[in-house]
Amino acid sequence: MTLRRRLVDWVLVGILILVPALVLRSSLSRGTPSAFDQAVVRITAPLEAGVSWIVEGIGGMWARYVALVDVESENRELREENDTLRKQVAELVRAADDVAALEELALVKKRTPTDTLGARVIGAPLSPQFRVMRLRIDRGDKEVQQDLAVIAGTGPVGRIDKVYGGYADVVLISDTRSKVDVVLKRTGARGTLVGLGKPDSYACVLKSLELAAKPELRAQVGDEIVTSGVGSIFPPGLVIGKVSRLDGDDGMFQNLEVEPTADVSRLRAVTVLLVLPPPADPDAKTKKRSEPAFMERAL
Amino acid sequence: MRTASIVLAAYVLCVIVAAIWRLVPTSLLRDAVPDLGALTAAYLGLTARRDVAPAVGGSVVLGYLVDLISGTPPGLGALVLGATSLVARTVQQRILVRGTTVTMAFSAFVAIAAGIVSLIVRGLYGVPTSTIGVELQHIALVTIATAIIGPLVWRVFRRIDAMFARTQRERDAALEGLAP
Repeated sequence: MTLRRRLVDWVLVGILILVPALVLRSSLSRGTPSAFDQAVVRITAPLEAGVSWIVEGIGGMWARYVALVDVESENRELREENDTLRKQVAELVRAADDVAALEELALVKKRTPTDTLGARVIGAPLSPQFRVMRLRIDRGDKEVQQDLAVIAGTGPVGRIDKVYGGYADVVLISDTRSKVDVVLKRTGARGTLVGLGKPDSYACVLKSLELAAKPELRAQVGDEIVTSGVGSIFPPGLVIGKVSRLDGDDGMFQNLEVEPTADVSRLRAVTVLLVLPPPADPDAKTKKRSEPAFMERAL
Repeated sequence: MRTASIVLAAYVLCVIVAAIWRLVPTSLLRDAVPDLGALTAAYLGLTARRDVAPAVGGSVVLGYLVDLISGTPPGLGALVLGATSLVARTVQQRILVRGTTVTMAFSAFVAIAAGIVSLIVRGLYGVPTSTIGVELQHIALVTIATAIIGPLVWRVFRRIDAMFARTQRERDAALEGLAP
C-alpha cells in the first residue's frame, strides 16, 4: 500500500468521523429531525413496520396459545372472586330494597290520617304463571284483625283476610273476593273494582261504571282510578289503578279492565290501616215508619 | 458491496432486535439490548482489508440508521460506531477472534468500548446522561447481552463474507474467521 493511498484512506476516515460529529452538533442545536432524517425514516419505515408486524404476530401467538400456564388457576381465582362479589351485590341490592320499602312505609304513614302499622311481607304464594296470589305479613292477631286495609306506597294492596298466630294473610285487590268502591278520577264517575283472579295477570274489572252520554266523559285507556272512600275499607283518593283496556259497553255500563298500581310482586313491606270499615246497619232490612207529624195527641 | 451487504444485514437484525425486545416482559431484560451496531462496527474494523475508510463508512451509515430507529440524536450512534470501528482496526493485528469463547469475550470488549465511547461523546456534546450507577448498570447489561449474541451475529457476517470471497481459500478463511 502506497503512502499516498494510505494518506487518502486516513483522510477519508477523518472526513467520515467528522461528518457524524457535525451532524450530531447540528441535530442537538436544531432539536428536530432534519428533512434528510425524515426522508430516510420514510424510506426505512416499511421495513421496520414489516418486521414489527411479523415479530408482534409471533409474540401474539406465543401470548395467546403458549404462555397460558397460569391462566387456569388465575381463572379459577377470578371465578371464586366473582361469585363472592355477586353474593355481596345481591345482599346490597336486598338491603337497598329494604331501605326503599321502609322509605315508602314512612311516606304512607305520613300522608295517612289514621293510625297505621308497618308490616313486612314474609310470604307470597305464586300462581303457575308466577303471579302473586296473596301476601302473608308478619303481624298477627295481637296487632291486626280481619278486613283491615293494607296499602303500599304505590297504592292499595288489599285487605287482611285471615289472621293466625303471628301472621296474617292479605287478599289482593286482584282477587275475585275483593270489591272496592272507586271513582274515575277524570270524570268523577263511580264504579266497583272487582278482582279477576287471573293466574297470569293482576288485572281487575271495573263494574257498574255508568256509560256517559258525552264521549269525552267516558273512561279512556290510561285514566286513573281512585278509591272513593264510600262503603270501602280504603280512605278516599288513593290511586288504585289505571284503565288498561276498554271492553265496550252493554248500553248502560262501560266495561273496563284496570291494572293496579301497586306491584305486589316487588313488595317487601306494607302498611296496615288500623281503622275498621263501618259496621253494617243492623236495622238495614227492617221496616221503620216515621212517626206521623200531625198525630193526635192526648190532651 | 461486501460492506453494504453486512451493513444491510446488520440493520435488519437491529430492527428485529428492537421489535423483539419491545415485547420482553421483564424490565431488567428489556434494558439488556445487544449492541449489534458495535458488533458490526467491530467486525468491519477487524476484517478491513487494506483500506479503513469502507469499514468506518459502513459503521457510520449503520450508526446513523440505528440513531433513527432508536431515537437518539442523529450522529451520536454514527460517531460512536465509527470510533468503535477504529478501535477494532487498532487491535486487528494483535488478536485473532476465533472460537466461541474468544468471540464472546471480544464481543463483550466491543460492547464495553462502545459504551465508554458513547459516554465520552455524550459528555463532550452535552447530551443528557443518567447517574453513573445507572449508566454502568446499562453498560454491564448490554455487554452481557452482546457477548451472548456475538458469536451468532459474527457467524452471519462470516457467511456474508464467504459469499463475497473470490477464491475457495478466501471463502474458507472467511468461514474460519481468519483475518484477510
